Amino acid sequence: MKGLRSFLDRIKPTFQEGGNLSMLHSTFDAIETLLFVPGHSAPAKGAHIRDGIDLKRTMITVIVAMMPVLIWGLFNVGYQHYLSLGVNEGFATMNNMLFGLSKSLPIIAVSYGAGLGCEFLFAQFRKHPVNEGFLVTGMLIPLCMPPDVPLWMVALATIFAVIIGKEAFGGTGMNPLNPALLARAFIFFAYPGSMTGENVWIADKPDGYSGATSLSNLSAAESVPVDGNWLNVSGWSVGDMFLGFEPGSLGETSVLMCLIGGVILFATGVGNWKIMVATFVGGLGGGLILNGLVAMGIGADNAFMAVPAYYHLLMGGFAFGAIYMATDPVSAAQTERGKWIYGIMIGLVCIVIRVFNGAYPEGMMLAILIMNVSAPLIDYYQVQSNIKRRLARAK
Amino acid sequence: MENLVSLGIRSIFIDNMIFAYFLGMCSYLAVSKTVKTSMGLGLAVIFVLTLTVPINYLVYTYFLKEGALTWLSADLAGLDLTFIQLMVFIAVIASFVQLTEMAVEKISPALYASLGIFLPLIAVNCSILGGALFMVQRNFSTLAEATVYGFSSGIGWLLAVVLFAAIRERLKYSNVPKPLKGLGLAFIIVGLMSFAFQTFLGIAL
Repeated sequence: MKGLRSFLDRIKPTFQEGGNLSMLHSTFDAIETLLFVPGHSAPAKGAHIRDGIDLKRTMITVIVAMMPVLIWGLFNVGYQHYLSLGVNEGFATMNNMLFGLSKSLPIIAVSYGAGLGCEFLFAQFRKHPVNEGFLVTGMLIPLCMPPDVPLWMVALATIFAVIIGKEAFGGTGMNPLNPALLARAFIFFAYPGSMTGENVWIADKPDGYSGATSLSNLSAAESVPVDGNWLNVSGWSVGDMFLGFEPGSLGETSVLMCLIGGVILFATGVGNWKIMVATFVGGLGGGLILNGLVAMGIGADNAFMAVPAYYHLLMGGFAFGAIYMATDPVSAAQTERGKWIYGIMIGLVCIVIRVFNGAYPEGMMLAILIMNVSAPLIDYYQVQSNIKRRLARAK
Repeated sequence: MENLVSLGIRSIFIDNMIFAYFLGMCSYLAVSKTVKTSMGLGLAVIFVLTLTVPINYLVYTYFLKEGALTWLSADLAGLDLTFIQLMVFIAVIASFVQLTEMAVEKISPALYASLGIFLPLIAVNCSILGGALFMVQRNFSTLAEATVYGFSSGIGWLLAVVLFAAIRERLKYSNVPKPLKGLGLAFIIVGLMSFAFQTFLGIAL
């Protein structure tokens, strides 16, 4: 944040009267306002408020961090669609982007429309100001939806998540579960046909073209490849899964873009790095334990157990969930050590669900939900143990 | 052995007394205001379930089931006493709850005071009677199975109640809409929690 400030200070004269780019003055002003207002600061020493970061700026930072994922999602929706028709549009044309926009913009509009509608209604009736909290939720919901999801389902799920998941608990900052994941889980359990299976992950694909994700391929695999060639089993190479050339929900495909977003969240201090790291560690650890079991001869014919552990971090929504969903400061654990436990458990539970629960090859959503529910208890015992330790020290 | 472990994990997470069957809701909702008391009641439920399910199993297998009394005399082979099973189970449960109550009062008077009426009311807690009736319904074949089932169902109940109590403690200061204050919100939380516990549904063990 400090680096950004000094950069803006350095280029400020260029935009002021008499500078080279003075006609862009208002643009510069808008960006500066967006990033640094309210901008109270204090001397570097002593207990002062260093930075007037408020809810609006936090939320806008998260939105900025979601941009790489969103842009890639728009591209990939079109790319996968044309690929299923037998055309590789590549990067040269705008067709991928345009098709992606035509599919995704309605979902984003419906999510924001329905959610903000509920927020405004509640704000009106309960006489509190409208919070910026929904800005992020309203973007996370489309990012975790498959491109072909019917719009009325998005609206219904958003309304459910906002009213039951958030406003019933007293609004922004009080919800025990992540509202975006609650919306996804709502569709997942109420209308499984639109959220699971092979046919939802590529928009408008012709019948007969397989739209299976690497997770469902692995879940359906009947044997472990003898030569260690996992490409035939998972269907996508490690590179493709890392860069994001695979079907999936709008925002989850590209691990690279998620990591860029993660770096933005980390650099600005908005997302908690402990939770991100712990989640990846938990997932990798869970995968390694299963690999170890396979090496000992337990479940040796289960492809999901034998797949190299790092595959789990690349497949499906693991990275997306770890970086954008698990770090939600409201529903995550609040204590410092609690965050490590919380993150590691998310990773482990996710692997357990993926491998052992045949019905849900994607475990990330449910793993985060179940740890959201457990986070208050983790915090409770963390606080109790701190109290005990300090009492012992005081004696 | 493997069978027992899988039964244990099943009854904690998948066939959870609260989230899968919604049994024992009255004390669940009433005693879950703080983690401490809910922990106490949870332990009491574990204790009672662990003892009553196997005892009821023995009673059922050697006295009540059709043909169970053949060990007494061959003439009784046709006798079927299952029509009194409900009364017998309740009697066993009630006597054990009495025992627990006396123990808790002696060991921890503070906990005894905070649990109040809900400790004796475990006797009519549906999850305890439910444990005994599920034991009959699922045809457990050994005493070990019944014991493991009782113990891990209790753990499942304890887990559910402390998780719930921790959430409620955190919500103490939130600005909940007036009509939902208290029980209304509690019901919503239980619903959302069982949403999350759907995770385990369908895990093959």
